Amino acid sequence: MKKLSHLKRMVLSALVIAALVYLYSVSYRVTNMDFVRLVKDAYKAREFVSAFLHPDLFTRDTETVTITTTFPIPCDSAPISEPVESGPRLVTSVPCAGEKERFILEGFDMAPSTEIAVRWHFPDGRVFTILRTTTDADGHFSAEVEARAIAASAGGVASAIEVDTYIPISGLKPSQAMKDVTREIFVTIFMALFSTTIATIIAAPLSFLAASNITKRGPLGTSVYYITRSFFNIMRSYDPLVMATVFAFWLGYGPFAGTMALTVVTVASLGKLFSEAVESIDPGPIEALQASGANRMQVVRFAVIPQIVPDFVSFIVYHWDINVRISTIIGFVGGGGIGYYLSEKINSMVGYNQAATAIWAIVIVVWVLDFLSAEVRKKLT
Amino acid sequence: MLRIQNLTKVYPNGTQALKDVSFEVKDGEFLVVIGLSGSGKSTLLRCINRLIDPTEGKITWDDIDITAAPPAELRRIRRQIGMVFQQFNLVKRSSVMTNVMNGRLGYANPWLSLLGIWPPTDKQRAVKALERVGIADKASSRADALSGGQQQRVGIARALMQEPRLVLADEPVASLDPVLSHSILHYLEQLNKEGMTVICSLHFLDLVHRYATRVIALKDGIKVFEGLPAEIDRAKFKEIYGEEAQEVRATTVEASA
Ligand SMILES: Nc1ncnc2c1ncn2[C@@H]1O[C@H](COP(=O)(O)OP(=O)(O)O)[C@@H](O)[C@H]1O
Ligand SMILES: [Mg+2]
Repeated sequence: MKKLSHLKRMVLSALVIAALVYLYSVSYRVTNMDFVRLVKDAYKAREFVSAFLHPDLFTRDTETVTITTTFPIPCDSAPISEPVESGPRLVTSVPCAGEKERFILEGFDMAPSTEIAVRWHFPDGRVFTILRTTTDADGHFSAEVEARAIAASAGGVASAIEVDTYIPISGLKPSQAMKDVTREIFVTIFMALFSTTIATIIAAPLSFLAASNITKRGPLGTSVYYITRSFFNIMRSYDPLVMATVFAFWLGYGPFAGTMALTVVTVASLGKLFSEAVESIDPGPIEALQASGANRMQVVRFAVIPQIVPDFVSFIVYHWDINVRISTIIGFVGGGGIGYYLSEKINSMVGYNQAATAIWAIVIVVWVLDFLSAEVRKKLT
Repeated sequence: MLRIQNLTKVYPNGTQALKDVSFEVKDGEFLVVIGLSGSGKSTLLRCINRLIDPTEGKITWDDIDITAAPPAELRRIRRQIGMVFQQFNLVKRSSVMTNVMNGRLGYANPWLSLLGIWPPTDKQRAVKALERVGIADKASSRADALSGGQQQRVGIARALMQEPRLVLADEPVASLDPVLSHSILHYLEQLNKEGMTVICSLHFLDLVHRYATRVIALKDGIKVFEGLPAEIDRAKFKEIYGEEAQEVRATTVEASA
């Protein structure tokens, strides 16, 4: 008898182990696990990591100073320009050249360490950018340029080589990305604030109906209790992302859809937390006030509310904090705010520095709110 | 005069907490209710102000039928009956002053009271009540910052705000050590001497002998004794508390008597 059960247990364990091994092998396959690639493909993340370390934060106002020199192609097709001896000037290694010949373009006595753009200015007025670079500390640059057919002289007029020097005339100021991110992060913060507020207004009264110690009396009270409770539980089973997608279809992309989705999710969650707070209050003071002849409203005002307000406030602050995080994510599915901005920049493939700005902003705001909500909650207990 | 007639309480779960209990309390008495825990003392006191609705029986106070009072009248009755609890039942996070004012809610304008607006006379009354129990200096402290003895004094001050004719005290000193017990019961005794009727449940016999003008004893929800404190001798004691409890209780009585 004993031996049999021993054997049975061994067979059972073997079966369980086999089942587990099978489950894990399947999940390994379907998830395309390939840990080697984590290392091998690390270089692909480099661009983004570098963008992440260089968020687009500041810009400067600049004044553009242009210097120019004419360059006939081919030689004798037009007069060459008088050489300039001093001040910001362009010097070519040859005064003119035939098509496809290469020559050296140099600039002297320009603004030091400044961004410049070099371009052809064709006789017909069109321009063609050759390169962008930066002058050195002495205000000098040099570049190899090809005398291309497209830059040939026309009607005795030569093309000119122009160099724009972008001289900063102001201090650092917030870049466009910084401005956009600031605006969008505030949209997100206010989405979270607004949805938490609406949710509180809805959930606070409902939570009393879902509190057994308040409502669960008599057949009517008991059914109200179960109905409210089920309402909260059903609402809670919908994920914020699903909600946001639904509302984005309904109301179109944007902060309104995101706020509504957050509100629905928060009502359910706060309702549950609130009703548990109401259920955990000390019945003693309620009994004492009833015994002194206080009416129902007075009992709620002076025996129930003082006991629940600290809990309620701490849940509200906590949810605001959570909702900022969630609204970042639901932005990706059309909820508006910083999440939407971030998804746009990431998908555009060229906005990595702007995406980095958004990510940094999210990190900072989440950190600050986390800290503040923890402080508030500490104060309240 | 408070008259309790054939009072019976059966809880929804079937527990019979009181069985056909009848007695009378004359104005100005200090009636003590004794009995083992679970004997029905709390149930009895809570039936008197209808925190618990009795299953059967009748409670009349002078010519008022408490058991038949509709809600509005019940509140008017309740505000004349102060209640003091074993666990003090203060709102812990509220100030002492707020807790004391809570005792006046039954008299206040319902709407103004919700806004926390009180007539100046009520505030003066609260200060006097706190002075009376010797903790006027604690008025602005949070209730849970006070010691147990101080909290029970707040409980008494809150009851005083009702200007009650009757005080129900449900084991008011069971959570306090003996020295504090005397100081709390002393306040109740003073109020009783000023004409207030007191019904108080107690655990220790020495306290019963010291404060009661009359005693009733409950056992399993049945009134097993009614008489003067001095009439409770060893034999009666054994009857009320049972053979097993006798030794412990008896030594307690002798040691502290
Ligand atoms: N709310 C309740 N529901 C069911 N049974 C109760 C309830 N309150 C008290 N009882 C029971 O009624 C009996 C008397 O209790 P109680 O009046 O509290 O006695 P005491 O105050 O003397 O300790 C006990 O058996 C107790 O378990
Ligand atoms: Mg009791």
